[in-house]
Amino acid sequence: MKRFILRRLGYALISLVLLSVTIFLFVRVTGDPAVLLVEPGASQADIDAIRTQFGLDRPLWVQYGHFVSSLVRGDLGHSFYYRTPVLELYLSRLPYSLLLAAAAMAFSLVIGIPTGIIAAVRVNRWWDSAGKVFALLGLSLPSFWVGLLLILFFSVYLGWLPSSGSGTALHLIMPAFALGWYFAAAHMRLTRSSMLDVLGSEYVKLARLKGLPEALVIGKHAFKNALIPVLTLAGINLVIMVNVAVVVETVFAWPGIGRLLYEGIAFRDFPVVQATVILGGSMIVIVNLLVDILYAVIDPRIRLDK
Amino acid sequence: MRLGRRLASVLVLAVTLAALPGGLAGGPPGAAAAEGQATWAVHITLAPTWFDPAETPGIITPFMVLYALHDALVKPMPGKPMAPSLAESWTASKDGLVYEFVLRKNVRFHNGEVMTAEDVKYSFERYRGASAALLKAKVAKVEAVDPLRVRFTLKHPWPDFMAFYATPATGAAWIVPKKYVEQVGEDGFKKAPVGAGPYKFVSFKPGVELTLEAHEQYWRKPPAVKTLVFRVVPDESTRLAALKRGEVDVAYSITGPLAEELKRSPGLRLVPTYFTFTTWLVFTEQWDPKSPWHDPRVRLAANLAIDRAGINQAVYLGLSKLSYSFIPQGMEYFWSPPPIRYDPKRAQALLAEAGYPNGFEGGDLSGDTIYGVAIGEPVVSYLQQVGIRLRLRPMERAAFFKEYGEKKLRGIVFSGSGAPGNAPTRLEQYAISGGRYAYGAYPDIDGLYTEQANEMNPRVRQQILTKIQQLITDKVMFGPVIEPAFLNGVGPRLEVHGLGLIANHAYSAPYEDLRLKRP
Repeated sequence: MKRFILRRLGYALISLVLLSVTIFLFVRVTGDPAVLLVEPGASQADIDAIRTQFGLDRPLWVQYGHFVSSLVRGDLGHSFYYRTPVLELYLSRLPYSLLLAAAAMAFSLVIGIPTGIIAAVRVNRWWDSAGKVFALLGLSLPSFWVGLLLILFFSVYLGWLPSSGSGTALHLIMPAFALGWYFAAAHMRLTRSSMLDVLGSEYVKLARLKGLPEALVIGKHAFKNALIPVLTLAGINLVIMVNVAVVVETVFAWPGIGRLLYEGIAFRDFPVVQATVILGGSMIVIVNLLVDILYAVIDPRIRLDK
Repeated sequence: MRLGRRLASVLVLAVTLAALPGGLAGGPPGAAAAEGQATWAVHITLAPTWFDPAETPGIITPFMVLYALHDALVKPMPGKPMAPSLAESWTASKDGLVYEFVLRKNVRFHNGEVMTAEDVKYSFERYRGASAALLKAKVAKVEAVDPLRVRFTLKHPWPDFMAFYATPATGAAWIVPKKYVEQVGEDGFKKAPVGAGPYKFVSFKPGVELTLEAHEQYWRKPPAVKTLVFRVVPDESTRLAALKRGEVDVAYSITGPLAEELKRSPGLRLVPTYFTFTTWLVFTEQWDPKSPWHDPRVRLAANLAIDRAGINQAVYLGLSKLSYSFIPQGMEYFWSPPPIRYDPKRAQALLAEAGYPNGFEGGDLSGDTIYGVAIGEPVVSYLQQVGIRLRLRPMERAAFFKEYGEKKLRGIVFSGSGAPGNAPTRLEQYAISGGRYAYGAYPDIDGLYTEQANEMNPRVRQQILTKIQQLITDKVMFGPVIEPAFLNGVGPRLEVHGLGLIANHAYSAPYEDLRLKRP
């Protein structure tokens, strides 16, 4: 087991190193931040001064070396746009993203799992069709469009909810719905297919033959087993919600990490983009590592598998 | 009974205090206390660098905040492009080498310190924003002659000293308190800025909002609105929704169909503002004898083929200014060229005369994804109608300016600039040899440009700069399109919203002039 964990840890580190190289190089081919921080028409001297200030005039390998050595010390650099430490910036946005992601995740699970179960139990009937329509809409309607419709209806027309911003529970409702619907649809589809698999299995048939009440068969025997892949997906989705809710956070002026990433890309704020991608990537790597370890604990065959 | 007596005493005390000159707040006699709140939905993320004039990057946006938090010796104000502010007056020596500023007495920073000549000297020396290297290369020394007198001595006569020092071209004239900055440090200053402007810093939540409170002792007049809130709302549909709901009083940057909707909405006003921003076509191949664009008749044909009024109506509801020069109309030394009338028939005739009766393949029209698409697309369509066939090549903004600056683009470039300054500063970057975005130049224009740079007599200088602009027009060096308006929404609560009060300033200002409607 120890070897298995060490091997997985090694893979995780390699992933992070590759991610750091990739993001470092990718942001640098997208354009010059100095040009975006001044008005078109600014003098070359001003542009050069900004490049020098940010260390962009140094060779690429020197910049990478500085980036990695700072990263190891826990220093993610200073934002070009905000001129403040990126870690400070990231941590100031993280609570907003966690709050939004938690609310959206709760919404997606509360809606997605029951509808998925009902669709599986009532397969090819009205409930199933309604669930499919719900999933299709959730997966195909762009979240910015859903967000704008919500604002128009609940803020402008009904006047019930604030159009944007943060600070109260009312501010959270629309962004959580707009973000959560897509994931609710994904969770519903997976719950449905997973439940269908489990409902066709031998042990469920046996439970039914034993004469157990249908609610008990579904609730105790089928649902518990069908839930495993859904929760695995939900874990990954939570990380995605925290880090890349770019569109929803922009539409609702929600000050989360997704918007920070968007601003970072828009202004070519290299340290911000690098930090958000690496921290987001680290979250995914850690979640995957934990899932791998948990699987290995549950099923010893996995740890023996090369 | 005892309670009644106590209440009466409190009332008497309150009335007495209120009757004292300036009340307890210490504002000018008779000034009403500031009250209420005005809220802006800002289109761009506020950055702490905007709280520090030393970091001014040469774009107009930070002045949205600077006009509230800070004040300058001289700055643009309503009706005056260079109005005395923290300086009561200034003089320039006859040889153009010495500029002396007399400071206003008893100007207090938000922390109560009195502004002195040392603060002015310190602010200039500390300045590291746009054109800092240029300013410091030109200025030999800055002296605090006495607490209320500052002297700038230049190395050589420089006719543009005030254009750089006293306009949004730089932030060098905006004064910070020396003692306070030294005490809290650079980062501390950005976290809790103190200035001499009409509003004091209260709080800043990155990505959310900036809150300011009235500085009752502001020298010009105490602000009438107690609290200003600048809320970041990046999506323009959301900004409009917030304005409709009354969550904000001003929503910046509402364009296209949303601007039309705003115009139709009862109780809301669509208010355009203008700054030194203009858009134009650059004929990059005009210096290549093999290119059709080498022929000035072809370039004139392109100019005649564009329906500027049509583009203005379609994109900006007719609120932008039609442009016939790549230099904005509001800039010092601007010369107004004759209007170019939309005349596709004459354009076709000129093309035939130049040897292209059936038109020609004009290559790419490269532009950024904002203006390059919104205005560039109709331009391509108009040119197509007379036979100039172009491919629109929208490019991401950073990539576009990178290739534009490196002179890698071919065909036509859809250019735009809102850089503050004056006509010579605009010419330098786009029309003179060695200019960052100049794809070529003409010796006569270069020669005149050098001549004007050393001319201290404003009248003679104006004549030279007029001649340069006439030559540019005669040679059809560019294809000016429009000076886009900056469209904003204003809600019903503000009586004075401040938009458009200061020429060439896109945002609300001066903030001390703002007024809420009486309920």
